[in-house]
Amino acid sequence: MVADPGSTGVVRTSRRLNEPQPALVESRFDGTPRLVNRQGVAVVREEWRVVDRWWTDAPVQRRYFELVLESGQNVVVFRDEERGGWFSQRGV
Amino acid sequence: MIACLAIPGFPLRAALRSRPSLAAAPAALAPPAGEEPLIGPVTALAEAQGVRPGMRMGEALAMCPRLVLVEEDPSAAEQAWEGILRRLEDAGFSVESAEPGCAYFETRGVERLYGGLEAALRRALAAVGQGWDARLGAAERRFAALAAANVARPGQVLVVSDAHTREFLAPLPLSLLPLDERRQLELRELGVKRLGELAKLPKAAVAERLGPDGRRAWSLARGGTAGRVLGRRPPAELFEELEFPEAVGNELTLRRAFGVLLDKLLERKERDGRFVRKAAVSARLVGGGSWRRTVTMRDPTAERDRLRHALGPKLAELPAPVVSLRLELVDLTESQGQQLELVQAAGAELQTRLSEGLRQVRASTGSGSVASVVEVAPWSRIPEARALFVPRDD
Repeated sequence: MVADPGSTGVVRTSRRLNEPQPALVESRFDGTPRLVNRQGVAVVREEWRVVDRWWTDAPVQRRYFELVLESGQNVVVFRDEERGGWFSQRGV
Repeated sequence: MIACLAIPGFPLRAALRSRPSLAAAPAALAPPAGEEPLIGPVTALAEAQGVRPGMRMGEALAMCPRLVLVEEDPSAAEQAWEGILRRLEDAGFSVESAEPGCAYFETRGVERLYGGLEAALRRALAAVGQGWDARLGAAERRFAALAAANVARPGQVLVVSDAHTREFLAPLPLSLLPLDERRQLELRELGVKRLGELAKLPKAAVAERLGPDGRRAWSLARGGTAGRVLGRRPPAELFEELEFPEAVGNELTLRRAFGVLLDKLLERKERDGRFVRKAAVSARLVGGGSWRRTVTMRDPTAERDRLRHALGPKLAELPAPVVSLRLELVDLTESQGQQLELVQAAGAELQTRLSEGLRQVRASTGSGSVASVVEVAPWSRIPEARALFVPRDD
């Protein structure tokens, strides 16, 4: 008779941390945000661009803004210049 | 009796399991990358069009322009073969695997269980499962069982009694013998084309002309020795697999993911303090196909660094980006006694409380609700590519 080998395995389906979330943003003529999720922007603390993976089928081109809203909340939003649309993101 | 299970062209059949439509098309196993362009096993339709295993790729494509070359899927083949062996073991047969697609087992122990030899062999064929075109040969001698399995039709059981072994082997071709191509050609040039013709030659003359290999082939052509079947010890398989949200080709990212899998495997309770004798790392590649490397440790170990140094460099051999990475502890040493602790280690109570807390969270919110954050590419400029949430359900 054959002993029970006791085979056990675990398959873990991972997901990304800090996945961008769609945000409702109204921008000024120069592209800087004026309203984020219907809250006014008090200060634009920083602005930068991320251009990456241009050599792949899924290039990344984003314009990031670190903002302080009128409520005092700090948020980071970006405009996806490849696919269009605004997103907020944590852990930037 | 010794029974031999044969599944001709097993690597091709395993690769076609994920593409069943190709089984009814002229297809052949593509040559491995970087090796001589000789095709592997072929489907029946390809064979009907003159394509033969071992043919040069160019010649095969000239002969059959519609020939589809199928990439080898070593991981799927190994898993499928392991599945077949386990099903045979579940049915009570203690199997010895010669190679993927060929295994031996003794029938003596299970004949009474199934009501005779034929019934036991039929049960073994049923355990293999559908779609493999498996065949079984049984004889008192190992080589005769192999020969019987090779000449049996798909789904057939062929039993050769000891009294008829030489008679049965006589008309069979020399290709059944474990002789290299050069030796086989030498014999054919001498007019020896069948096992019976070789068996009739004087032993001393064969040994003088062909050396020890020839002497062994001569002995096999006369039926060989009875031989013993050494049933394998079923591997205590423990594995961890990580599926990525997108294909990963970066070696550093893969090494980090590999490190996470290794840590989780070594932490598993089922390992029970046993050392790792053999481990395998495998991956599913983007666009289909798989990749697998196995390492047997010279000295069994449970040291993370030694395992990492043994398996980690293999990741550099990955031929394409991967969608999932899997680490298996294929063979473990025997269980060791556990030394009881007189004084609990620092932090043990905290660890127990934390585990209990996490267990309660999982119980109330469901599987996948507790996760570890694993940094896979902290250097990335894209924030969501830096780390993954890996569920902890252990």
